[in-house]
Amino acid sequence: MDRMTENLDALWAEYRDACPDPEPSAQFMPMLWQKIEARRLETTSLFRHMAQAWVMAALALTLLIVVLLPRLRHEQVYSANTYVEVLDDAHSNDALELLAAGEVE
Amino acid sequence: MLVDFVLIERARSGDDSAFSQVVQAYRKRILGTIARLIGRPEDVEDVGQEVFLRLYYSLEQLRTAEVFEPWLYRLTVNAAYDYLRRQRRRRESRMSDLSEQQVMMADAAEGGRQNDEERRRSKVREKVQALLEKVSGEDRILLTLKEVEGLSLKELEKIYGVNENALKVRLFRARQRVLKAHEAQQDKEK
Repeated sequence: MDRMTENLDALWAEYRDACPDPEPSAQFMPMLWQKIEARRLETTSLFRHMAQAWVMAALALTLLIVVLLPRLRHEQVYSANTYVEVLDDAHSNDALELLAAGEVE
Repeated sequence: MLVDFVLIERARSGDDSAFSQVVQAYRKRILGTIARLIGRPEDVEDVGQEVFLRLYYSLEQLRTAEVFEPWLYRLTVNAAYDYLRRQRRRRESRMSDLSEQQVMMADAAEGGRQNDEERRRSKVREKVQALLEKVSGEDRILLTLKEVEGLSLKELEKIYGVNENALKVRLFRARQRVLKAHEAQQDKEK
């Protein structure tokens, strides 16, 4: 087993020699900057898509409100009477009740 | 450190020319490490660019310039690991496309173009690559960093973010597995 371990250690060393640090090609830096730019554009375009989606959603919501709001208004029941008339109708029995209470006493 | 902390700080704050200088200082070393980690010379630059691309977009997360080198190594390890995983998947599908005879013919044609020294080196590379193929991507990377790159346990601790004891256990197990594969390889050669 020890011999095998030594053998393996020697193989690692040989491998280190067999794989020296390669010289970077002349295209290394230009290609790297191209990839950096491409990633930047990709991120920007992703944000643009998200912004576009938000704008579309906001437009759709506005449109929905514009269409639905007049309908809702029509469905509401408005009283043709004035405020004072409505109050008068609601409290028309108050005076009678007061009178009735006086009679009991 | 191959560059001073000021340059790293400048690159961290968005100075592209400082970043270029950092890349130029480290690229050869990183490409060498990648070459030994992945064992495919034709893909080394591509993986190297991926490392520096990740560095560019993660540099602002770096706490201090002192931890720059372990950070860069961690990015290298991650990129190499991603590559090996992709490669393993791709190879599985590619193996079925080529017959064994076609593979042997391609190898023989390549062998004829090499000189003796290059042939010996190529044989060593093939032998180690075949050995490393037998273990997982994690074991392969850990062993290469320790045994081939010669990184210390302290350096590996910083790269992997685990304590020394945990690393020793992982290394021991990885060594055992590769030793077993080596034994089997030796037996096959006899």
